[in-house]
Parts: sequence; structure tokens; C-alpha cells
Amino acid sequence: MTPTPTASDGLGTLAGEAFAAYLRGDRERLSELVDLVTPVLWNAARAQGVSPATCEDAMQTAFLQLVARADSINEPAAVLGWLVVVVKREAWRLSRGSRREIGVEEVPEAPAQQLDPEAQSILTERQRLLWQHISQLSPRCQELVRVIAFADRPDYAALAASLGMPVGSIGPTRGRCLQKLRTTLGADTGWAV
Amino acid sequence: MSSHSEAIDERDVVNLRSVRDLFAHADPVPSDLTERMKFAISVQALHAEVAELIDSALLVTRGPETAVEPTPTDSVTFTAASVSVMVSWGASDTSGTGERVRVDGWVTTPGAQVEAVTADGSRSATSDTNGRFVLDDLPHGPIHFLVTNPANLDNRPVITPTIQI
Repeated sequence: MTPTPTASDGLGTLAGEAFAAYLRGDRERLSELVDLVTPVLWNAARAQGVSPATCEDAMQTAFLQLVARADSINEPAAVLGWLVVVVKREAWRLSRGSRREIGVEEVPEAPAQQLDPEAQSILTERQRLLWQHISQLSPRCQELVRVIAFADRPDYAALAASLGMPVGSIGPTRGRCLQKLRTTLGADTGWAV
Repeated sequence: MSSHSEAIDERDVVNLRSVRDLFAHADPVPSDLTERMKFAISVQALHAEVAELIDSALLVTRGPETAVEPTPTDSVTFTAASVSVMVSWGASDTSGTGERVRVDGWVTTPGAQVEAVTADGSRSATSDTNGRFVLDDLPHGPIHFLVTNPANLDNRPVITPTIQI
């Protein structure tokens, strides 16, 4: 199910291929696209601190816009990033009860990640430890790390850009967020196996 | 000493895999979310009319006394302005192990094309002069049906809600 991270076929590439095939008339390939990108989109939406129902609405809107505007999307290969941008904007718009669309230039900053008490209670010891370390990162890094974790190495840079991070903030270099995570986990003797 | 300007390496990838496991465990994608997305997309892309789920009756239940009739059969009726569809399903004869499902259906339009969309992809059948159709060797799990009438393309296609078979 999870695509193996290789240099050539990251999640974004696979999604782009499925979408390009759909545009050429292979209707069923859109299902494959939905299967591929749903984990990333769900986490991109949930990272905005909005309810599961709102996330679902935001994702549905993004997919419907994709279908409605399919012919005008110039770069099928960039479909993953396009969807992440729309999902994030929709999650914000819906959670504010706002009727107006959020401007393209306006990229809201995600809040610190939260897990509800019920979710926290089912974590393993090791996951609890990791959660403590993630919580130490800046909110922007928490959002970035959460979203790229559901994609592959070749996708990191494009996903960072879609989330509104500066170009060059990650991939192919580690960037500050992954460096922070690495340092804080590396310094924890309880984390080292 | 590692630096943020170095290339992402295996350790970073392992760290991210742990992050993914954490969120996938604590805040999982709802199990039927992708099905709901695909359904919404189909409705829009086909300008389809969504049929209403009318009836869900358990016709035959498996019980200790029904050893000779080991096939639990469920039945559902969908209705839309232009067409109604009844489907019932049970274990397929093709496998004998109950791993595959046979759907017997009846639609109010003879010669209608009925497409079953499952996790395996989609399969089509054409209803006979009495409106009957059979779709065999389907997987268990979510399924929805798309009904079109080749004889009258003025009618919008009809899509049913997703059910579990």
C-alpha cells in the first residue's frame, strides 16, 4: 500500500501519472489517485486543528474542484501539491465559517499539533516519547513533519512549498525541521534503541 | 555532528516513518473515507442522479437449522426518478469458500447497463428483457452501482449509494 521511497517514483509522481491517465480518458485511474493521496490530504487537513468532519468536507471540495477544473490544470504532475493547497485553504475557510475564499497568497499558519486525550491513551510508550519530542518543534515544523511523513523523499520539497514554507526549507537537504527532530531524538537516551 | 544543509539520509527517513506510524495510529484516516470521496467524484463527474436507499431486509439468515442452505442473502432496493434497482447478494458459486460474491439484480429498465464499482475496479452487465442481471465473482466490501440506459441517453445516469456486500 505504501509506496517505497525511491528517487524516481515518489507519491507525487505516482499521483501525477494516475491523474494524467485520467485526463487521457482512463476514468478508473481517478480512484487510484484518491487512494494514493488520501493519507497525505487527511493529515494536511487535520494538521490545521479542525474537526474530522471539516477535514472530510475540505477533502471532498478539493477532489470535486480537481474534477471540475481538470481540463485547465496545466501540470498533471503537480496534482499532489495542488490538492494539498486546496485542502489546507478549505480547512481554514470552513473552520472560520467564512464564505469568502482564502486568497492564494494568504497561507495560514497551522497551530501546534494536538492529539485528543483518547488518542493519547492508545499510544505505545515509544510513540508517547516521540509525541513529546514533536511537541517541542515549532508549529510550522510540526505541520511539515506530519504531512511529509505520509509521502516519499522526492515529494518533500513540493509539499513544503504547498504548505507555504520557503523554497529550500527541505529536500534534498534535511532542512531545519528534520534537523531539529533528529537532534532532539538523538539526544534522548530513552529513544535510542 | 549533522547539519540542516546535509542531504536527507536513512536516519531522517526512519524518523519520519515513526512520525507516520504515530499519526496513523492516533488519528487514522476513517476507513470508508476514500469510498465517500470516490462516490462524490463519480456523482459530479457523471452529472448523475443519486438513487435513494429504500429497503434493507435480511431475507435469509444463517442459522443452525439451515445447514442445507448456507448462503446468507441480503437485499437492498434503490430508487431514483427514472429507475429502481433491487439487488440481492450471496456467496458466489465460483469459489465455494464464500470469498467471492454473486449479485442478482433487477432493474425497472430492460436493456439497462448496470456497472458495479468495487475495490477491484468495475464490472458491467446488461439487464435482460425482464430487467434481470447477474454480476458474479465480485469481492466482499464496498460496492455501488451505476445504471445507464443506452436506449435513452437523455436520462441522467443513476448512481446508488455505496453498500457493503
